[in-house]
Amino acid sequence: MNARWRPGPALGYAAIWLFLILFLVYPLLRIFYDAFTDEAGRFTLTNFLEFGRDAYYLRSLANSMLLGLATVAGTTVLGFAIALLLVRFDFRGRDLFGYLTLIPIISPPLVGVLGFTFIMGRAGTVNVLLHDWFDVARPINFVYGLHGVWLVETLHLFPMITLNVLDALAKIDPSLEEAAESVGARGWTKLRTITLPLTTPGYVAGALLVFIWTFSDFATPLVLGVHDLLAAQAYLNIVQFVDRRLFRMGIVISALMVGLAVLFLVAARRYVAIKDYSSLSYSRIARRRLSGVAQTATIGFLSLVMLASFIPYLGVALASVGKGWSLTAIPLSYTLQYYERVIVETPKYILNSFLYSGLAVLGCVMFGVPIAWVLARTRAPGRDLLDGLNTLILAIPGTAIGIAYVRAFHVPFPGFDINLTSVWLVIPLVLCIRRLPYTVRGAYASLLLVHRSTEEAAASVGATGLRSFRDITLPLIWRGVLIGSLFSFMTSLQEASAVLFLSLGGWETIPVGIFAFYIAGSANEAAALGVILIAVAALTVLIINRIAGARLGGMFG
Amino acid sequence: MKISLQGVVKRFGATIAVDRTHLEIADGELFTLLGPSGCGKTTLLRLIAGFYSPPDEGTIHFGERRVERLPPYERNIGMVFQNYALWPHMTVGANITYGLRLRKLSADEIAGRLERGLRQVNLVGLAERFPGQLSGGQQQRVALARALVLNPDILLLDEPLSNLDAKIRVQVRAEIRRLQQELRITTVYVTHDQEEALSLSDRVAVMRDGRIQQVATPRELYERPVNRFVADFVGTNNLIPGVCTEQGRGGVIVDTPLGPVQAGPVDAVGAGERCVLAVRPENVVLGSGGENVFSGRIAFASYLGDTLRYDVETESGLVIKVDVRDSWHHRLLPVGEPLQLGFPASAVLTLPDE
Repeated sequence: MNARWRPGPALGYAAIWLFLILFLVYPLLRIFYDAFTDEAGRFTLTNFLEFGRDAYYLRSLANSMLLGLATVAGTTVLGFAIALLLVRFDFRGRDLFGYLTLIPIISPPLVGVLGFTFIMGRAGTVNVLLHDWFDVARPINFVYGLHGVWLVETLHLFPMITLNVLDALAKIDPSLEEAAESVGARGWTKLRTITLPLTTPGYVAGALLVFIWTFSDFATPLVLGVHDLLAAQAYLNIVQFVDRRLFRMGIVISALMVGLAVLFLVAARRYVAIKDYSSLSYSRIARRRLSGVAQTATIGFLSLVMLASFIPYLGVALASVGKGWSLTAIPLSYTLQYYERVIVETPKYILNSFLYSGLAVLGCVMFGVPIAWVLARTRAPGRDLLDGLNTLILAIPGTAIGIAYVRAFHVPFPGFDINLTSVWLVIPLVLCIRRLPYTVRGAYASLLLVHRSTEEAAASVGATGLRSFRDITLPLIWRGVLIGSLFSFMTSLQEASAVLFLSLGGWETIPVGIFAFYIAGSANEAAALGVILIAVAALTVLIINRIAGARLGGMFG
Repeated sequence: MKISLQGVVKRFGATIAVDRTHLEIADGELFTLLGPSGCGKTTLLRLIAGFYSPPDEGTIHFGERRVERLPPYERNIGMVFQNYALWPHMTVGANITYGLRLRKLSADEIAGRLERGLRQVNLVGLAERFPGQLSGGQQQRVALARALVLNPDILLLDEPLSNLDAKIRVQVRAEIRRLQQELRITTVYVTHDQEEALSLSDRVAVMRDGRIQQVATPRELYERPVNRFVADFVGTNNLIPGVCTEQGRGGVIVDTPLGPVQAGPVDAVGAGERCVLAVRPENVVLGSGGENVFSGRIAFASYLGDTLRYDVETESGLVIKVDVRDSWHHRLLPVGEPLQLGFPASAVLTLPDE
């Protein structure tokens, strides 16, 4: 056989691009088009001027930025402290705390915030106890307000920093620190000038995600009664569907959010690119045994953090089985009726969630593995752009994607007489796009580990193209693909923001159900769904852990 | 600065990495720790550096100062790591001056010392680069400059050439030796490469399983190894087991699979004792030269450029390596060719059996 142009791979590559352009690039461009034009389609900056003149929007923008930065600060302190303790010191229960660190990731913020309101809310357990035991007459406002959002987000997101820093710390060659010691740097000086700077790339990646996550989350603030945030404004403006001017403003806000996210992403990339410290050595630094006092303090600190991040679990667990729980520290009588209601009477939440997430992961694998292969093995035209798009997805707020889909697909496609937003397939589609990067990353990382020569060796004995991919490459990378896919699956189940915009009657997923139940005042049903969601996520993490070990850090970079 | 180790022991769990080691390193000496991987040479170096402080047992003195309990930064050492351990987030200049800045020296002083350090290692003009932009040899020299700029009493080098290409290795080796002699700095050098050790060192300690086998000058080590391990590890040797049958003033006679072999005088082995004979291939000649002559056949020939090495299978089945130095004027013998080989009694070392 002579070498010739074969249409197969080229068509496949074209299909990938078509998919991305149609379901990612086009909707995003669409909101930018809307943001920069008026009703008649003429170019204008009026929309942004209007935004800039509105004091309420400006305050929302300032609040969102403040919240994002404060959350980054909070998670940084917690995340670094915990990562350093776990990596560098030996103390009782170190392994246990290592696993516990993953716990906050398991619960989606929407569930986390519910749990907090049950325990820390105005009539929550803590205030009831304060009242009963200490005669505190006025309930203390722990959670309602910006500070509450900050608390919930910080406790939910600090593992992102911890995992990334753990990963970076584990990669630091011990001799770099020894070299510092040999010239006289010790203790804090060594930590500040050598160790911490070396964790920068991993840390920046984690911090960026924390910021964007906080910045684009509207469900948590709304549950806590905070409306003057950008994401919350976008949501409220879009879902009212009545006032065209407000609707357009929602689109303008989401365009603004995408713009800011991209800006931060590019800045972070620039910053990290000049700090590529990848070193090849993976030897370990010996852990230092902590002295009695330090050990007690460490265990106390970690227990406190874990306890705090455990509050939501306790809250939703109690609320899901507590009958008529109000004004007491814990429920007085227990029932399974809420589970019955959300599992037996209306099984659609669970069925929809699994169906949509399953389909989404199928799409992730179908498009993600070839994308990873193109990135790892070829110099196809547009490869760098593909890489950029894949990273961009991580940075784009779910809120913005949801709005973009609403805007772009509520009119029929040319040649079809039905619009995409009225077909349930739109949900798995948006989930697939949102979670694609995890699968791509998982597959890409494995592909980098499989040396190209193994494929060349297969070619040398006569296996070419797809054949060698199937027989040689796939068996070697399935583990990475599986981990990425499981992660895509778990986060698809948890996705609230994009899906909330697109969900119509009968399409409700578990997070949509939680939000709807809670807003409608049926907190117990919301809690029951929350427990189910946590259980599924916990199981998924357990499986991932079994396959991958505790190194999830790379997933978020 | 003189270094003195007395009864130093370092254990890792149940394994003993360094076992009751005594060592005296003279001021200004380039002293090499040589041995296969896992022999404890790097552990010994790190004990001197202070990374395992204190050792499980024993004392370490630098000059008159007792240091085994001091951390590395109080020992005034300069260390070059096997992988250089350059801090990737700092420029070359920042790497070199980091220790100076920690000591809060004046800016002028730091600039002057950086200048001198860069000149010493031929890296003038590269201060603004990052380590990732340098070649392996250049990184190596940055590491060296970083160690020297603090004016250490002692320079410690942990396999500094193992990551370099063969050509550059020889060049950097010569540079290290030149610099060490210029500065007259006491240097401890760790390597597993015996050629490197022989060419570079004032004295060499050969280590095995955490114990020092022999401390000697390179020449002594090559010509007078004290045991079978050293004879085998340093250079190439034909090792022939046997039993000493006659012990006399003029030499010994050893009964071996080849037959009786005459060897030079030796004290360590008595009549009737088992021993090992060591004969260097370059001391064996083709033909009937010397007191010991045996016959055999060519089993294998390897051309090494400056030498031609034959493996000759003797009638006993024992293979003896023979080097022909002047391969230019030598007609290559075919495999299977019967011949005689010989070596003088003076070239045979008799080592005690272990």
